[in-house]
Amino acid sequence: MESGRKQTRVALIGNPNCGKTSLFNFITGLQQKVGNFPGVTVDIKSADTQLPDGSSVSWVDFPGLYNLYPTSRDEKMVVQSLLDTKDRFHPDLICYVADVTKLEKHLLLLHQLKDMDFPLVLVLNMIDLAQKEQLEIDAGLLSGKLNVPVVTVSGRSGEGIPDLFKEIGDQLSNNINARISDSGIYTFSEVEKNLTQQLASIFPSYSAYKRLLMAHHAQWLPFISASDRIHLLSILGENAFKSLPFQVREVTQRYHFFTPVVASVLKQKVKDGFTFSEKLDGLLTNRIFGLIVFLGILTFLFQSLYSWAEWPMTLIEEGFSSVGNYLATHLPSGWFTQFLTEGLIAGLGGILVFIPQIALLFFLISILEEIGYMSRAAFLFDRIMQIFGLNGRSMVALISGGACAIPAIMSTRTIASWKERLITILITPFISCSARIPVYTVLIGLVIPSRTVGYIFNLQGLAFLALYLSGIFAALLSGLLLKWWIKSDEPSFLLLELPDYKLPVWRNVGLTVWEKVRTFTLEAGKIILIISIALWFLANNGPKAAMADAGKEAKREAAERKLSAEEADNLTKAYLLETSYAGILGKTIEPVIRPLGFDWKIGIALLTSFAAREVFVGTMATIYSLGQNDDELTLRERLAVEKNPETGKPRYDLATGISLLLFYVFAMQCMSTLAVVKRETKSWKWPMIQFFGMTLIAYLSSFIAYQLLQ
Amino acid sequence: MVKVHTNEKILSCAKVGVKGVVSYFKDEQVACRLISMGLVPGSTIEILHKAPFGGGWYVKSESLHIAMRNEEACSIVLR
Repeated sequence: MESGRKQTRVALIGNPNCGKTSLFNFITGLQQKVGNFPGVTVDIKSADTQLPDGSSVSWVDFPGLYNLYPTSRDEKMVVQSLLDTKDRFHPDLICYVADVTKLEKHLLLLHQLKDMDFPLVLVLNMIDLAQKEQLEIDAGLLSGKLNVPVVTVSGRSGEGIPDLFKEIGDQLSNNINARISDSGIYTFSEVEKNLTQQLASIFPSYSAYKRLLMAHHAQWLPFISASDRIHLLSILGENAFKSLPFQVREVTQRYHFFTPVVASVLKQKVKDGFTFSEKLDGLLTNRIFGLIVFLGILTFLFQSLYSWAEWPMTLIEEGFSSVGNYLATHLPSGWFTQFLTEGLIAGLGGILVFIPQIALLFFLISILEEIGYMSRAAFLFDRIMQIFGLNGRSMVALISGGACAIPAIMSTRTIASWKERLITILITPFISCSARIPVYTVLIGLVIPSRTVGYIFNLQGLAFLALYLSGIFAALLSGLLLKWWIKSDEPSFLLLELPDYKLPVWRNVGLTVWEKVRTFTLEAGKIILIISIALWFLANNGPKAAMADAGKEAKREAAERKLSAEEADNLTKAYLLETSYAGILGKTIEPVIRPLGFDWKIGIALLTSFAAREVFVGTMATIYSLGQNDDELTLRERLAVEKNPETGKPRYDLATGISLLLFYVFAMQCMSTLAVVKRETKSWKWPMIQFFGMTLIAYLSSFIAYQLLQ
Repeated sequence: MVKVHTNEKILSCAKVGVKGVVSYFKDEQVACRLISMGLVPGSTIEILHKAPFGGGWYVKSESLHIAMRNEEACSIVLR
């Protein structure tokens, strides 16, 4: 441990949709952090808190799973942590969270964990819902029959949490060193008995049931040494051990054990007819109406991004403008003031102005997730998704991709089929993420008039939607191509639980928004800021002799054309920028991007955007604040007055604007995404294919658009 | 429900509204997955909805709601 003091690690484990994360959020609040470690991408959340009795506890929120026989990567990670005592998330104590309204189905995993000899507390969650559904539970009796301490809580309201803390405290003050028992609840068959006895030579410190699990997972568990694995597999071969039939045997036997237990402790009023969720699903998963609702939700999502986020954005934009202006007039002029106003503040403003849109997008997406709509979307589109080599669950990734490709790519871990998962990973970055919003906003504001068409639709909002649709279209088309190209004979399946609709827990929504905005501001912001500053340097410095010549040349020309002092100053700045290192860089790539309608200034922004798309705006802000004296103008206004020196027409006309927009829709301009794809696919092959493929599509579509519109 | 020559009633190609009790599963992989989600032999099962575009089934088993494809539904044999 970092602190050098052994902290008790308490894991929250439970089936998907058991309300585990709500509970975790309630307990840990803003203290949680997402663990990310070299080698594997782990998005396991953890947080350190102190219990009321003073003992300090490190909470870990594991992904949900149904039993100890995982099918997806997410679930495998949990099983690995539980079996490997050296794993950094290996728990000392497990808080097993079960939805009390689905108790019977949620007891299976608890039953297995008990045989693994973990100290356990059974947390019956959603007790508030149970009361509403007139469901009575005898927690004391259940505790007695299962021989596990039981606490009833509500992760929504926090009811019962103090009892949970007390129970954990009691458990911790008892000796919780893992016992090893050879008599679990599960009664082995002869084959399993023989097998686990033989395996004792390889895993002497493991209980019989743990040894059995090692046998089931012999193929993939990464912490088994090569020699142990050979030994293990040969024992399995001698016993003709087949995993699946024994899994079914075990699980069935466990059900026989606890089904009567549940029946004896639970009093439930039998309800006739359909539940509220079932009735609602009659509409929301309906062939026609369900699709209309889905499209309606998407349209609402993107329209609201444009209309609701407008005023806070203007506020931030103008705020930064006036701060810059104030500093420029009140600080002594010099390179530092210039750096502060043109480099730092221009760059910073370029980041912060997009927080309202990012927050809003994550706010709406996490509400959809919270109420349970996302799994319905997966169900609705599974068949269609299969056409494109995807899975219904890919829908969740594609929608989250609308916020950020990184969490979206991580969410594909629930897809069991490798081929479907890989295709989802490869095409997700085509979906317009929040980092593209800045670019879209600036450029649409420039080239598309703000008009109302068809009474309610804002033309700019529609253009926004069209860009998103182009991304989706490209994603699906690539899926088709990849499905045909990537060969696989592994079976694919979809078994998806559709949880009951619930009102969103606002704490969860708030925490998601806070976490994403914070990540954007800190992570993306760091890159944007560094690049803005580097760019400011490159744009203000150049080869000394050439810079001096350019200055003289500008003065001569100004005198010749009899320009005013201000105009002469602007001309000098423009000449200097062109001669600077940044200018040289942009001019070098200009021949390549000229057919797309881009000049060297846009070229500089394109180059920096390959680090991260949102850098575009910061770059533009830095470049264009250099040539101007009027600090009152926002970036959008500055771009609008920019003229093409050859034609005298606005630089950002429709053709250039659309061409640039299309480039940003399709190009793979995000280093962080490439890094995540590399980690998730375990090779450079896929991120490289993704990078070159997407950038080629971007170049070609921009080329075609510009040549047609010009 | 569709009668197959072995006299098995299979929960696929079935219609919305069909009810039954699970007898066994034909595919071990699917069996393991379904059992661990709480759908066991002896569970009642009812088809509530069907996804658009010839997609999967929305199945109810007691308090559990599961979406599954045709392939999975095919391996559920009813009593």
